[in-house]
Amino acid sequence: MTPDDQHAPASGTSVRRKEDVRLLTGRGRFVSDLALPRMRHVAFVRSPVAHGRITGVDVAEALEVDGVSAVFTGEHPAIAPVALRAQSALPGYVETDQPPLARGKVRFAGEAVAAVVAADRYLAEDGAEAVVVDYDPLPPTVCAWVEPEHPVHDEAPDNVLLSRTFRAGDADAALAEAHVVVDRELTTNRHGGNPIECRAGVARYEDRRLTFWSGTQVPYIVRTQLAELLDLPEGNIRVIAPDVGGGFGVKAVLYPEDVALCLMAMAMPGVPLKWVEDRVEHLLAATHARDHRYVLRAGFAADGELLAVSADAWCNAGAYSVYPWTAGIEPLMAGGLLTGPYKLAHYTCTVRGVATNTSPSGPYRGVARPSTVFAMEALMDSGARALGMDPIALRRRNLILPADVPYRMPSRLVDDSGAYEACLDKAVATFDLDRWRAEQTRRRVEGGRPLGIGVGVYNELTGLGRAASAGPRMAFRTGHDACTVRINPDGAVTVFSGVTSQGQGLETTMAQVVADALGVDYDDVEVRYGDTDSSLWGFGAFSSRQAVISGGAAHLAGEHVRGQVLALAAALKEAPVEELDLRGGQIHMAGQEKPIISLAEVARVAYLQSDRLPEGFEPGLEGTRFYDPIRGAFAAGAQIAALEIDPATGEIGILDWVCVEDAGRIVHPVIVDGQIAGSIAQGIGGAMYEHLVYDDAGNLSTGTLLDYLMPTAGEIPELRIGHVSTPAANPTGVRGVGEGGTLAPNAVVAGAVADALGVEVDDLPVTPARVWELVQR
Amino acid sequence: MKCPPFSYHRATDVADAVAALQAADDEGKILAGGQSLVPVLALRLARPSVLVDVNRVPGLDSLERRDGVLQAGALVRHLALAGQALHPLAAEAARWIGHTAIRSRGTLGGSLAHADPSAELPAVLRACDGAVHVAGPAGSRRVGADDLFVGALQSAVGENEMITGVELPVPDAWGFAEFARRHGDFAVVAVAAARFGDRVRVAVGGVAGVPHLVDAGDLDHVGDEISDDHVALLAAAAADDVDPASDLHGCAGYRRALTEQMTLRALADLAGRPQPVREPA
Amino acid sequence: MKITLTVNGERHRVDVEPRRTLSDALREDLGLTGTHVGCEHGVCGACTVLVDGLPARACLMFAVQADDAEVATVEGLAADDGTLHPLQEAFSRCHGLQCGACTPGMLMTAAHLLETDPDPGRERIRAEMAGNICRCTGYVGIVDAVEDAARRSRSEATS
Repeated sequence: MTPDDQHAPASGTSVRRKEDVRLLTGRGRFVSDLALPRMRHVAFVRSPVAHGRITGVDVAEALEVDGVSAVFTGEHPAIAPVALRAQSALPGYVETDQPPLARGKVRFAGEAVAAVVAADRYLAEDGAEAVVVDYDPLPPTVCAWVEPEHPVHDEAPDNVLLSRTFRAGDADAALAEAHVVVDRELTTNRHGGNPIECRAGVARYEDRRLTFWSGTQVPYIVRTQLAELLDLPEGNIRVIAPDVGGGFGVKAVLYPEDVALCLMAMAMPGVPLKWVEDRVEHLLAATHARDHRYVLRAGFAADGELLAVSADAWCNAGAYSVYPWTAGIEPLMAGGLLTGPYKLAHYTCTVRGVATNTSPSGPYRGVARPSTVFAMEALMDSGARALGMDPIALRRRNLILPADVPYRMPSRLVDDSGAYEACLDKAVATFDLDRWRAEQTRRRVEGGRPLGIGVGVYNELTGLGRAASAGPRMAFRTGHDACTVRINPDGAVTVFSGVTSQGQGLETTMAQVVADALGVDYDDVEVRYGDTDSSLWGFGAFSSRQAVISGGAAHLAGEHVRGQVLALAAALKEAPVEELDLRGGQIHMAGQEKPIISLAEVARVAYLQSDRLPEGFEPGLEGTRFYDPIRGAFAAGAQIAALEIDPATGEIGILDWVCVEDAGRIVHPVIVDGQIAGSIAQGIGGAMYEHLVYDDAGNLSTGTLLDYLMPTAGEIPELRIGHVSTPAANPTGVRGVGEGGTLAPNAVVAGAVADALGVEVDDLPVTPARVWELVQR
Repeated sequence: MKCPPFSYHRATDVADAVAALQAADDEGKILAGGQSLVPVLALRLARPSVLVDVNRVPGLDSLERRDGVLQAGALVRHLALAGQALHPLAAEAARWIGHTAIRSRGTLGGSLAHADPSAELPAVLRACDGAVHVAGPAGSRRVGADDLFVGALQSAVGENEMITGVELPVPDAWGFAEFARRHGDFAVVAVAAARFGDRVRVAVGGVAGVPHLVDAGDLDHVGDEISDDHVALLAAAAADDVDPASDLHGCAGYRRALTEQMTLRALADLAGRPQPVREPA
Repeated sequence: MKITLTVNGERHRVDVEPRRTLSDALREDLGLTGTHVGCEHGVCGACTVLVDGLPARACLMFAVQADDAEVATVEGLAADDGTLHPLQEAFSRCHGLQCGACTPGMLMTAAHLLETDPDPGRERIRAEMAGNICRCTGYVGIVDAVEDAARRSRSEATS
């Protein structure tokens, strides 16, 4: 075995995740698990009405309940001065306030109206039950594409908080010239993240310092926003996101409950306050997503070239502009990415974020694109039918190819991928399309359950740098993360990364990247993360950004410290630095088998033996680097599946499901496949099962997991996952993978059912009842 | 989602349980498997003053077959019911209830008392024309399946009564079919079919406030062998006979169609010609 | 009410309100936070523990009901010296966990499955694990892990 074999890179191998042992043995450190001296528990009183004026809140009886120590309302002096106001400089954006606890008016059923502090959660709920709130109901609006009877916010009489038109070329003229024009009207279903651990926070204020343990995906954003909202120096706030039980975007929001918890803690110095959201609260009041309508028209040339797309989209923003992302989060993504991986010159798309009396919409894995991929692929399927073309051939005809890259999309985003055809080709081959088409034909001739084939091709904008994240024009511009690499006096490595992890294994991935950049063993690297007091900066987990951006910072920081180590080693051993190499924690000289000095010894000198430090060297071995990819790394993907339908019950059976993605260079193959499988499963959930339904009065009809159906191991099929790998232009060559899988299942399921039955599927989710109705037509 | 406060009485025998209910002045509740009751409490949709835990009452978990009737104690867990061979229809239906962790706790008596119209065992009780034994302050009484279910989540078991045992006649032939959204979910529609001699009884869950016993007129008279045509006619009659409401999981027409399909499948099962149906968990 | 909870072989005397669920008693009174709570109405399966050897939702049992019962939780799976249970090893090897929130319930459900059926096929594994929701993995790694643990346990038993 040569030294090189012994110290093969950690990246590209599926090392044991550093997270696993504690999570498998019940020793995870979740916010829900936290217990502190003097800690008390919080339960929120939530509005039972969707829209109404608050005419009175009586807390007297609640204060009499055993164990209750305080009750806060929106009018409480600790709460009343504060409002969450999601800001954007986009023209026409209507800024609105969201109070930590409702003030004067409630805007959705489930909005927090008061908070009860008690000795435990049981008693807090007893107290919450005893709070009497009187409401004067107002007419609610739950649908984003009807005229409101009474606006949600006075500032927006038509409920439109944001409207923007994307325009490229001349869509009307191109449509007039088109050989065929197809029209589709589609709706997608409101659903949400539902991580197994709901939201949770513990806030403690003492000595003018606030510590907030939060199951957040964005601790640094939370710290900055809290500093502003609470009027505290940012350095006096520490946000800790330890192990977090899933996020998926839902926890990338600073919620009014979070702010209320911190404000209450400030009003009760020395008393840590804990709030663990329960599932009913989560379904009611954590952010929802994907409640959209699309009216679409596309024109194709006779040879299948996509000439023009004209679109109108309505995104239900819910009762408040989600903080701090704004009501633009879904509509702007929808308009920016609708055209997906297809070349297009003529495009017009007007998107709107519309307020309604429903739970606010926020970031959820894939943000809008599961809906837009459904929309775009529906146009492709309709176009293929109108043209009499094979639907996959039509897609191929229009894909952005490697020769087109960098490709400026009609929304002016720059696509650097071009791997779409490679993904589609590999998916089709893996799936064995010919075999499934033959089976489909056989069933049509000989009888048998109708079989349909659905396909979805997509581009995922991952790792958005400062240029790519310009769209929402918020007060802050995401794009960079920081990483600090420190060699300890014993030569082992501690990494202080700006990442947070809700299951994505970033602790492992960062350790792999640093181990390789530095030249040490994976086992010698420990990663600290999720604590604003330990690491310098990270915007957090969203937009499939952390492997790209924090990974880039980790690589750069590792390389930087490697340079420090080699320079010091060279000086100590009087060797030419350019001939030195660090691998496996040993410094080697080119052409020599035995190391000349160990990293541990270099570190000992750097920290403990300053008498040996050569002239010009500072003590210590540590470096911090930021990384910003400026644009982003587009990730390509294609999914294809065969579904069969029981026409008698509408039941859909998934016979085969193939996904091929371009994750660029892969750091941890098993983690990457896990991200893809998990995101496909959530996509299938959204396509077939999960639906948050409001009745006309604005009550959530799917308020428990008996009605909000998430798929289980019994529903999710075996998934066949493949890869093409075109390294991205960033330090590690990776492309993001957290969301891509969610993008296609809507398109795949709806497309396959349409293919099986010869109908168009316009509305999601595709439930057995809906399929049965389509069969009856 | 924490239950409201209640006091707790661990009953030593049936009389003790009934006395505890009586002492609670109509505000007591029997705690058996708890798989339906505890969620209701956690949502604070009910607030009994006392829970009377009958889990340690001896003698309520027996299973025996006498004179063609399964005599089962109220505390027989779904897991035990699913594993017994004395009443294969009840065993099959029990396998469709929830998941192992639910079946390990949930009880036969509890399921019948809870009277969920889409639950499996109430449909079986009606298909088999079974009965429950109910103990109360005035002693014990027997309530037949047709009288037990009063409305959605409402049974004829009084506030001071508890189910102690269940009689389930064992059919000569049987079939069971269910359509649920996911593995282990409550049925959208479930059908239990039982033949006793020359009569077939078909009970449908999920289409009304109580499990619906199909009135098929003369069609329920069958011989030892049931023809495909007869099965089809009976299934169509079942679909005609139900009057379901629309809800989140489908419109009335869909539930009617499912009634026909599940009846077809249950009867095909009964007739010894099983069609491929999804295996339960 | 004073009760005795025997958890992973260790006896604990605790004083609980009757309404305290077994899951809360484990987590809050005994500090055994390995058992997670995901829905508190018996659907998600995260709180699944073994009570007298059978899987049960700890959120649907009151602690007082577990008086004198034997409760097994995820904390008791690994050996005293820290050696992981074959299922824990397999979950790590096959990436059967991501965030770890559903994992304790998955492990306890799988532990019972393998005790009752040492050779379940993938379909049986899927059916039996269908009472536990995972939001991260898409179940692929979980099914792989249970299958893998079963296979290795069988080959150990025969070797």
